[in-house]
Amino acid sequence: MRTMLLAAATAIAASSASFDALAQTKPDVLVKQRQAAMTLQAKYLGPIGAMLKGAAPYNADVVAINATFLENLARMPWDGFDASTKGEKTKAKPEVFSDAAKFKAAAEQLEAATAKLGAVARAKDEAGVRASFGAVAKACGGCHDTFRQK
Amino acid sequence: MQAGEALVKVWDLPVRLFHWLLVLLFAVMFATGKAGSEWITWHMRCGYAVLSLVLFRVLWGFAGGTHARFASFLAGPSACIAFAKKLFTRAPAPYAGHNPLGGWMVLALLAGLLLQAGTGLFANDDLLNEGPLAALVTKATSDRLTSVHVWNFNLLLLLAGLHIAAVLYHAGFLKENLIGAMFTGVKRMPADAAEGAAARFASPWLALALLCVAALAVYLIVQRPF
Repeated sequence: MRTMLLAAATAIAASSASFDALAQTKPDVLVKQRQAAMTLQAKYLGPIGAMLKGAAPYNADVVAINATFLENLARMPWDGFDASTKGEKTKAKPEVFSDAAKFKAAAEQLEAATAKLGAVARAKDEAGVRASFGAVAKACGGCHDTFRQK
Repeated sequence: MQAGEALVKVWDLPVRLFHWLLVLLFAVMFATGKAGSEWITWHMRCGYAVLSLVLFRVLWGFAGGTHARFASFLAGPSACIAFAKKLFTRAPAPYAGHNPLGGWMVLALLAGLLLQAGTGLFANDDLLNEGPLAALVTKATSDRLTSVHVWNFNLLLLLAGLHIAAVLYHAGFLKENLIGAMFTGVKRMPADAAEGAAARFASPWLALALLCVAALAVYLIVQRPF
């Protein structure tokens, strides 16, 4: 009985391990994932920046939609920075992996800043958007300065 | 001053102001370029100033006085080779204006700066900032030009380093004070060499007018009011 249980457990462990291997996303796809998430963030951040600079008329509805997208997109890149992508040709600096704690803090800073922006944007609070936009831009730029090659 | 030496005016005020303002702005561009995203606005503003200055210097290379003109300091290959051969002896031919290699260095630096400023106009930082002409090209093109902007800066550093090394070599080994001359405009030269060095100078008001033309051109590029 005991042997049988052990064999069954081993079989299950082996099959789940092979299942993991199958589920493993390929490194090049992970890179695409994070680049796509970044591209979309810039896409939805840009119009808000233009409105706040006065280059476009302020539209609270567009800001609410964009900021909400941004809030969700800000959580998407990070699991793409898997150790398996170390060999891929990207602009990510090795510090992403060697200074993982700092990278995680930078990611969380962006998530927090975009969550705050999303909340005030959905509340159609223009003054709040103006006040919290800077933190988002700073989170983007600060992380790029440290973790992305020029 | 020793006997047999004469003071010769070679650099007019526009050339000297151009040179030292460019040095100052180069340092500012270096610092604001490396300092990170928050300094990009100042990097762009100073970049417009650099582009204005360089465009002015190109115009001055055609309309300025003797030693400011490209035609006077871009020497042919034989003159360059002859000068290079004498460079490592202590008896180089003294030049009132740019020596043959120095002249080509001026052109290389101006070309490098034009490329740097030109690519900067199309560059982007993948965030909220882009050069004033980036909107005219695709993101991929803007990205490529941004890479050129980054790499060409290393080339500029190399050229500027060579330029400074050459000037120090002239000061230390050849006992020629080129740095002082760029401040005062006056070179101390052997009297016989100085005799043939009488230069014509263009009006500083013409320089001011050309600087305004250059600045207006940059303004139109940046603002694109049309």
